Amino acid sequence: MKPLNYAILKLFTDGREACPEDVIEALKGEYGHFKALNKRDVLTSLMTAESNGLLEESRFELDEEGEVRMFFRSNEEGIATINKYIR
Amino acid sequence: MEQATGMPSPAAIEAKNRLTANFRRRGIFTAIMSGVTYGNYTAFMTLAMSVGIWAKFYGEDSGFTPFAVAFMLSALGAALTDTCSAVWSLLIAAYKGKLGDFWRSFATKPGVILAFAAMIGGPLASTAYVIGLQQAGSIVVPISALCPAIGAILARILFKQALTPRMMLGILICFGASALIGISSMGGTEAHPNMMLGLLFGFCAALGWGLEGCVGGYASSMIDPEVSIAIREVTNGLSNLIIMVPILGIIGGASPIEVINSAITDWDSMKFFVIGGFACYWGFMLWYKGNAMCGAALGMACNGMFSFWGPFFCWVWLGLVFGIDGWNMPPIAWVAAILMVVGIFTIATNPLAIFMRKKEG
Repeated sequence: MKPLNYAILKLFTDGREACPEDVIEALKGEYGHFKALNKRDVLTSLMTAESNGLLEESRFELDEEGEVRMFFRSNEEGIATINKYIR
Repeated sequence: MEQATGMPSPAAIEAKNRLTANFRRRGIFTAIMSGVTYGNYTAFMTLAMSVGIWAKFYGEDSGFTPFAVAFMLSALGAALTDTCSAVWSLLIAAYKGKLGDFWRSFATKPGVILAFAAMIGGPLASTAYVIGLQQAGSIVVPISALCPAIGAILARILFKQALTPRMMLGILICFGASALIGISSMGGTEAHPNMMLGLLFGFCAALGWGLEGCVGGYASSMIDPEVSIAIREVTNGLSNLIIMVPILGIIGGASPIEVINSAITDWDSMKFFVIGGFACYWGFMLWYKGNAMCGAALGMACNGMFSFWGPFFCWVWLGLVFGIDGWNMPPIAWVAAILMVVGIFTIATNPLAIFMRKKEG
């Protein structure tokens, strides 16, 4: 089992695009009991990864409740960096 | 909801801009608070090292050699603060359900890099910082605030990051400010006879922290900041207490186990180490987090404002609250500290760009 932040980043190494809800859905089987697997904390992790060049924002939209939903993905360089440090 | 063209709606754009602006604000606030808590860490560690058994340690009848006084006691002060901080970090990680991630992260590549950076920022830089504080007083705080400048240079060398003429100008301002402090200190050394030695150790601390911020910041972009700080503080606390203090004690002709035991069982000082450790936890955790959220350059510049907060809280806690003499700063030092902050900001951000952005907004 990887640390939660590693698992979040590792999700993007297959080139997928995902928003925080997608990440939670993908990881809830293994990490469902983690307090940090919530929308706010996952979004902070994704935006932090974006600030450091590991991810990039791909698009955004408004959700059903009128809140912005941001989607992220990792480019070739980001994927290589993530794979270099996280096995 | 997206419009038919696939372009986001104006409401979505506005909401997204609000979200990113809020994230940036949170990052800057986090980084600034790291400086504030760092100032309190400095004050309480210094306070702890001036009361209880420490008054005896530093007294004429301590029986310690000058080497043991200068190096072993300084390392012990840093070790106790880091160890208390490590306990706080593990308690907080446990409370937030991140203790498992702490163990899991330790054995990974980013975890090892972080631990390596912590060794540099801890046993080496923290001890140098405490020696500097003991030898030269709180004037060392602005000197150690050179770490963003050093971090920028090291980032250029190690990670090929940008080092523009504006950033080099900022570095020059910082060095000018350091020189101003050094020159002004020479005339009034009655309270701290080893002022220049203390300043030299303060610079070594800045070198270590610059490297730590540079290397550790990169690793912590992958590790949760609350897990990162637990790795940092546990590495620091243990390596300081188990390796650094015994080595320096033996070299200094003292019995390290006896000294450590005396210090740990002295509640008069330990209560302040516990508070200092708590502030230390926040100081470094927010530093990592702020660097990760708004970029190392801006994060380290905001954190660098501890050159104000350090002397400020030393003056407040030690000078005003506990009535200890010698914690006032000469005016020229405050001017130099302000100049240093200007230099740090010049390295990290383009002031003109900030004004332009405001104008555009």
